[in-house]
Amino acid sequence: MTSAGAEPTPPAPAGGAGLSTLAGWLGATGVVLLLALATISVRVWVSSAESRLEHPGEKPKVAIADQAEVAYCTPRFKEVLERVLHSCGLAQDETRRGCKPADVKTFASISDADFNELFTPLKERGAVILFDEGMQDLDEGAKKMLEDKWFQRKGARYFFVVARASKSGNQAKNRALSHRRANSVMYYLTSVANDPEIDKKVGLLWLGNEFAQLSKDYCGWPTSRANEKCDEEAINRSAFVSWVDCRL
Amino acid sequence: MDYAEHLDRGLHDVHCSFIPGAPPTGEAEACRAAMYSPYSALFRESMWGGVPISLFALGAFAFLGGFAVYLLLARERAPKIALFFFAGVGITPLLVSLVMFTISVTKLGHLCKTCVGIYISSLLLAIGAVSGLFTLKGEARPRLGFLFPVAWLAALGLTTLVPAVVYAASVPDERPYLNKCGSLKQPKMSVGTPLKIHGSRAIQPVLLFEDPLCPTCRAFHERLVDEGVFERFDIDLVLFPLDSECNWMLDEPLHPGACIVSKAVLCGGDRVRQVLEWAYDEQVYLTRAGKAGANVLRAAIKQRWGEELLKCVDDRKTDVLLNQHLHFASDNGIPVSTPQMYLGSKRVCDEDTDMGLRFMLSELAPEVLK
Repeated sequence: MTSAGAEPTPPAPAGGAGLSTLAGWLGATGVVLLLALATISVRVWVSSAESRLEHPGEKPKVAIADQAEVAYCTPRFKEVLERVLHSCGLAQDETRRGCKPADVKTFASISDADFNELFTPLKERGAVILFDEGMQDLDEGAKKMLEDKWFQRKGARYFFVVARASKSGNQAKNRALSHRRANSVMYYLTSVANDPEIDKKVGLLWLGNEFAQLSKDYCGWPTSRANEKCDEEAINRSAFVSWVDCRL
Repeated sequence: MDYAEHLDRGLHDVHCSFIPGAPPTGEAEACRAAMYSPYSALFRESMWGGVPISLFALGAFAFLGGFAVYLLLARERAPKIALFFFAGVGITPLLVSLVMFTISVTKLGHLCKTCVGIYISSLLLAIGAVSGLFTLKGEARPRLGFLFPVAWLAALGLTTLVPAVVYAASVPDERPYLNKCGSLKQPKMSVGTPLKIHGSRAIQPVLLFEDPLCPTCRAFHERLVDEGVFERFDIDLVLFPLDSECNWMLDEPLHPGACIVSKAVLCGGDRVRQVLEWAYDEQVYLTRAGKAGANVLRAAIKQRWGEELLKCVDDRKTDVLLNQHLHFASDNGIPVSTPQMYLGSKRVCDEDTDMGLRFMLSELAPEVLK
């Protein structure tokens, strides 16, 4: 029965139930197959990851943060510096602070010329702080130069101060004078650096006029008195200062 | 597949492909961002990485695919109720896709290729499912009882769950690996201090090494904020710019300009977080400016933060501060990479700062998630 005016419902297609059932089964089979494919894939992916987790291959190497190490850090250079460092004040023992000429000669086990040659690559990194004759006071230029060099630390761990005295005067006096010059530099650095660990960073050497005197060639290095006359006497009334970019 | 591959805690390319196993594609980073986001998986606190929601879609599509086969074969012999059922459930993936699309656009700012593939598939499925109703012409069709749609719905629910349940049951236990990525040799800076960022509900001290021009750091920062855990952290921030201008550990700049931007962050004073977040927000522009030269970058800093902050950036004291941060990294021999996160002195593995973030926190700092 249909309501008045309505289209009569056509009969269902012959054999519809059978085909519909077959389509239903095929559809259900499709669901199962797709689900099985998805599930097996998931299981395989996870198992594979688990296997790699338990038996990891070699991991890619990652750079490790460290102090700077530049080309001039030759094994010979590092060997000498290490000996000097451990013997001249950066050791844990607070009773020793710095190295006097005899110590340097002994610990460095190196000739004067070779000692100076080692520091040649530091020409750009370091500077020569100049003093008046017989004096250890830092002038304004020296202070500025010292601060400039100290605050350009970059990746270096150690700061070297190598104080000298010129040939005029006797050996004992020059030894004491170069010691006072080294201390003068250290004192000033301590006052500006605000670094509680400064003692672990600064290596002090004072050579008097006994060891590794500088030649006039060093007047061409950055000095705290760039506009003043420089000769072999003047360049040795000095303290050479530099950060050293070597892993020691 | 990309998701499961990362369960080995390794670093992998993201394939971002419609074809499993296909080579990685250029659109991978958008897929990685989606994968690492808090919206990609469920139960991420109780299971490393959680259960990817795509697995639920996989099961649902398997059912809907099979059901479509049935309707196509049965044609006019299919009961009306089956067509109505298919139209009803066939639009649900589209609705879910719309939600995910909105999240992608508004929260992630990326549209990943495979996600777009799913959105389009969902749209086509919805169109196909609804258009099936237009084939009804008043012809006589077999009638089925109301239990059939209920059974189909149950089957849909079951198939939707199966891949996810299988995944959840088979994922490896990652807990033994959480604490195996090293530790700091000197947890305290001997000279200088890290920057401080106190979350509004800070409860967990954490040390972060970050580079303000590092995209991974930005993504990590956004993830912490999106996860709602940033405010729970009491952060010691150490700047570790991957820029050889100040960082001697690199031969060439990975992020040119990062030293200058790091100094801007150091000069932030009580606005450290704002300056850092500005750097992250403007990272694309600042990176371009960094490549153009220091002066372009300095101009950008001046324009946003003013002359005083720029003066501070140019001050030698700020160079020294940044140098102290870098020396803290080298004193500790940490990997030259960013970001890095430390809980106490223990380094959090990189993989636990992205996919495994919530799981790691639930294991190592559960109070952060409360």
